[in-house]
Amino acid sequence: MTPRVAVMSGFGINCETETMAVFEMSGAHADRVHVNRLVNGDLNLSDYQIMAIPGGFSFGDHLGSGRLMGNRLRFGLRDQVRGFVREGKPVIGICNGFQVLVKMGLLPGDEEVSLTQTASLALNDSGHYENRWATLEFDSKSPCIWTAGLERIRVPVRHGEGKFVTDDPNLMDRWAESGQLVARYVDPSNEYPSASDNILPYPISPNQSWRNIAGVCDPTGLVFGLMPHPEANHSTWLGATWTREDNEHGQGEGMAIFHNAVSHVMDS
Amino acid sequence: MSSDEHVRIFEVTTKDLEGLPDSRGETVRSMLKTDHGIKVDSVRVIMGYQVRSTISDAQAETLTYDLFADPVIEVAKTGSRILDDFSDAPEVAIQIGFKPGVTDNTAQAGLDGLTTLFPEQKEARVATYRTYAFWGVEGTASPSELAATLHNPMIERMSVADRDGCLNGHWPQLGFPDVPPNIFEEPTTIDLEVCDDELLEISERGLLALNLEEMKAIQSHYRDPAVRAERTEQGLQSDRPTDAELECLAQTWSEHCSHKIFAAKIRHVDKATDEDTTINSLFKTHIMQPTLDIQKEVDWLLSIFHDNSGVISWNDEWSVCIKAETHNSPSALDPFGGAITGIVGVNRDILGTGLGARPIANTDVFCFGPPDYSGTIPPGLFHPSRVFRGVHSGVRSGGNESGIPTVNGAMVFDERYIGKPLVFCGTVGIMPRTLADGRESHVKTPEPGDVVYMVGGRVGSDGIHGATFSSLELTEESPSSAVQIGDPITQKKMLDMILEARDEGLIQVITDNGAGGLSSSVGEMAELTGGAKLDLGKVPLKQAGLSSWEILVSESQERMTVGVRPDDCEKFEALASLHEVEATAVGEFTDSGAFVVHHGQTPVAHLPIHFLFDGCPQLNLDSEWNPPTHLPVETPELDEEGMGKLLARLLARPNVASKEWWVRSYDHEVIAQSVIKPFCGTNHDAPGDAAVIAPIQGGTQGLVISNGIAPRYSDIDSYAMAAASVDEALRNAVCVGVDLDLIAGLDNFCWPDPIESSKTPDGRYKLAQLVRANRALDDVCRAYRLPCISGKDSMKNDAMIGGEKISVPPTLLFSLLGNHEDVRKAVSSDFKKPGDAIFLVGETHQELGASELAFMLRDEGSGGIGGAVPEIEPERNMTVYRALASSMKSGLVSSAHDCSDGGLAVALAECCFGADSGASIDISPLQSDCSDLDDWGALFGESLGRILVSVRPSDKEAFEESMEGVCCHYLGVVSKGDAISVSRDGEKVLLGSMSEMRDSWKDTLHGGGL
Repeated sequence: MTPRVAVMSGFGINCETETMAVFEMSGAHADRVHVNRLVNGDLNLSDYQIMAIPGGFSFGDHLGSGRLMGNRLRFGLRDQVRGFVREGKPVIGICNGFQVLVKMGLLPGDEEVSLTQTASLALNDSGHYENRWATLEFDSKSPCIWTAGLERIRVPVRHGEGKFVTDDPNLMDRWAESGQLVARYVDPSNEYPSASDNILPYPISPNQSWRNIAGVCDPTGLVFGLMPHPEANHSTWLGATWTREDNEHGQGEGMAIFHNAVSHVMDS
Repeated sequence: MSSDEHVRIFEVTTKDLEGLPDSRGETVRSMLKTDHGIKVDSVRVIMGYQVRSTISDAQAETLTYDLFADPVIEVAKTGSRILDDFSDAPEVAIQIGFKPGVTDNTAQAGLDGLTTLFPEQKEARVATYRTYAFWGVEGTASPSELAATLHNPMIERMSVADRDGCLNGHWPQLGFPDVPPNIFEEPTTIDLEVCDDELLEISERGLLALNLEEMKAIQSHYRDPAVRAERTEQGLQSDRPTDAELECLAQTWSEHCSHKIFAAKIRHVDKATDEDTTINSLFKTHIMQPTLDIQKEVDWLLSIFHDNSGVISWNDEWSVCIKAETHNSPSALDPFGGAITGIVGVNRDILGTGLGARPIANTDVFCFGPPDYSGTIPPGLFHPSRVFRGVHSGVRSGGNESGIPTVNGAMVFDERYIGKPLVFCGTVGIMPRTLADGRESHVKTPEPGDVVYMVGGRVGSDGIHGATFSSLELTEESPSSAVQIGDPITQKKMLDMILEARDEGLIQVITDNGAGGLSSSVGEMAELTGGAKLDLGKVPLKQAGLSSWEILVSESQERMTVGVRPDDCEKFEALASLHEVEATAVGEFTDSGAFVVHHGQTPVAHLPIHFLFDGCPQLNLDSEWNPPTHLPVETPELDEEGMGKLLARLLARPNVASKEWWVRSYDHEVIAQSVIKPFCGTNHDAPGDAAVIAPIQGGTQGLVISNGIAPRYSDIDSYAMAAASVDEALRNAVCVGVDLDLIAGLDNFCWPDPIESSKTPDGRYKLAQLVRANRALDDVCRAYRLPCISGKDSMKNDAMIGGEKISVPPTLLFSLLGNHEDVRKAVSSDFKKPGDAIFLVGETHQELGASELAFMLRDEGSGGIGGAVPEIEPERNMTVYRALASSMKSGLVSSAHDCSDGGLAVALAECCFGADSGASIDISPLQSDCSDLDDWGALFGESLGRILVSVRPSDKEAFEESMEGVCCHYLGVVSKGDAISVSRDGEKVLLGSMSEMRDSWKDTLHGGGL
């Protein structure tokens, strides 16, 4: 069976082309699915095995990035989205998609999938949008199916609001224990593993996110979101310093994440 | 209308959490310090939302944290003021909101969010404001000085509480920005049977920007008995134009839309050579003809000059197109709004090419006054640093929110751009060669009977007279209605919808609504079928009461005009509805020979197509070239360390300095296609040359996008300026490995008014500069086989402020779009490894005239800029470029960086930044290029056609062999450590520290904060 991926589009989402491409490159079949096609019943989320909310500027990031799109999903597609997650199907939100998942309460989330917001992505400390490359390190003990077996990847960050915070410090510890703080910015000159809770200097941590968090998963490890763009490093020639490296050309460092999800669906 | 009881106010600010700064406030604090030298202790920003609706108290409660505020990181209030809650009262509070009728994108999003929660609130309205609270301002700036840094009176309202106000809780509060009702004015007619003075008076009063001859051409049209008979039949007054007709003609015939100066008959006299010739249209002679000649030799020029952008074939499956526009006058008045409107506007040119192309890359080139300018700014103008920040912010929002990467650009600084900044926005698009129904997508296929749809935004009173306004000089009285603010999200929704409609074969013809609004868009497409009729009564409006002519010419943004077969209308409308895009049938294409406009039953305009498009009389202009004289460059006596310090100062010049702080805030990687990025090198901070993208995911064929701009040289000779611009664009493209057999160009001229008049006594000289620039473009493009496929000109870049005229230096931006056969072989500009061999490819001559060095030395107090300006030898350059390209294909080149501003020395330093390395070179070999070459010429001269290259030691011989027969000098090696050293004939002539140079290079244009 070839897994079918619903790649959301519309209202200012703008990374759907490359997000579809990376799932296709991983052996899945990806459809561009306008959110309204799910709302109006043209399409049904339950016909898909993976859902992806790509990056972009849904509703221009006005009133907080991801908020208005989060509301469209939370109020317009509540049952379809909850059903999808409770069936144990993988979901990924990248950049603006991550912001949507956090604002609608699907991430870091809870066992009941109650859609209650518990964290947020605040303005970068720099106060503005930035596009630069960062190194991510993954928690090897995390239940996250998307990052299983991964140590580090290099990816671009492209956001103005990526500082992961919460107003309940206890939650942060709980997420850490359960392996939900799965992706963190690290200094590439330190040896693996080096993820730490002390905020790294700018621009190694491009947004001064708490505990250097770049991405989180839900308690099941099936719902995953991150600020950086692994889909933008789908081929070696898209790297930031590839002209300085003597590597064989082929798929890029970001692809493993998508292969993981597609394998997960094929295996289950 | 007073229904204040229904307006609720929601205020939001950042929650007090440890480790969570109020970054909005911090940004303002940092901007005040960096741009204005104002130091304040702390700033807080409060977002305000005014909601006019019928929601209940309970619903309002829901809105607070479900819509307006983030429950985790923000606090919100409704019904009371956040300003009351600070334990220390602020010392100054400033509230700023838009004027009525100005586009407020945040408010629009708020309204959308409101109706998601409460779908019955369709009639609700939302407005926003921001309140800035300041602490620690004592002795630094008065409330009005602070306010002036934040407020743009052209588009915004403001309310200020000073210290006393703050202590007493008299907080600023703006009312809801109700738009005063428009008064619908019945269509009127204008009697043109008047004397010449009155004809001109009519033009000036109406902001029509038509000259006497053009007014007389219109007058005589309405005297034609056949015209009169036709008009009587149509129910129009037979002997005179309606207001709508006159407006429509003024738009269509505006310099902005019809490029009259480039179409003019010019008598050109050259005082230096005694040449005396007549040029019948610079455009046809020097831009179109070379391209037509090249078209005979190549098969990839698909659509040139007649569409919204030029289209070339990229491969059998895809064609690509490029267009750049300027948005200068609006950016002077409202830097943010002008720039965002510029970038989303040029995106629509791509969407409106053929049957619709997808924008995949933006380029942005800005010319500003120096950001550290300390002279007086004439009233009515902004300080360059404010223009810079506003324009940058507009382009950032426009590009990023549209999901189109900004891949390449430039920034140029000169005091003369204080009068009018130049804001060039370019876009590259891609479309399938053929659609599923077999039509070639670069060819529009309208037929009479096709329904005219207006798609996207609604029409409002904003943007009336943009086209004619930009054809006039900027004055203190320039109208605020000419300013608009683009809305990228409305446009993005429309773009998604249009491209789906294209792929389903639903589009017959499409164009954007830019300058001149519907009058231009429908009018232009009517030319294809031979007519159109339009009913203004069907056009959806932002507010009722617009007069007919206003609807016809309003340039309200985010609109496309699309022709759809009657059978496809239902599908087209369903698609629009899915995407929540407004699409309204407003007319029909015909073959009646006329553009016919009604407003409901009332006839409003009847303009024969041939008169509308061919009726504008050709201008006759005079041009006279007298070479200018300048004081010569004076170079100081310096030892090697002095030279090193001088190089550091040169690197700190705004024209040379790193633009990274600004460029990083553009998304340059969305679409996941970015192969050669704006920055490269081990620390990702060395400047790239051209951009390389691989737009098909996983594919290895690429596109190269580059720019050239060299306005400094215009001070000596605009021929050299134009030649240098074209060469710089190509040189940059060669650096990354462009396929020299598939390169196309784009010319954007920005000139001061070159028509001699009492206001422009030096018009003949400025026109001669234009003639010379065009001749260079012709000569160089032919030699490079680099056809211009589209272009644009902006010919009134003067500001008349307080009786003083400020004209921009004549400026040509040349953009290049080329093929890359295999992006895996692309080359970046950073040196790679210590030990690599450094070569300079191309000849160096003693050419310091109008160089960046000359300007620096002049600014530091010695000498002038006079001297030999770089001369072009395009055939010689092309031979060098071809040799280098083939060497790159063989994988022999590790890095390549072009020599431009600041010459070889600057290029060398920049290559070292990318490797965190030093370099040791010997410039003695350059003397064989030019017998009178001195150290200054060798290091800082800006001779064209030169590229600094590095190769692995093991490839050195093979590289030298591959470059045999062209000028290629071995200079030295990349070295470990920090020292950049240059010697000549065994003597050290320059010694500097790479890291110190990098610091000074990075410091000048750092935007503040992180």
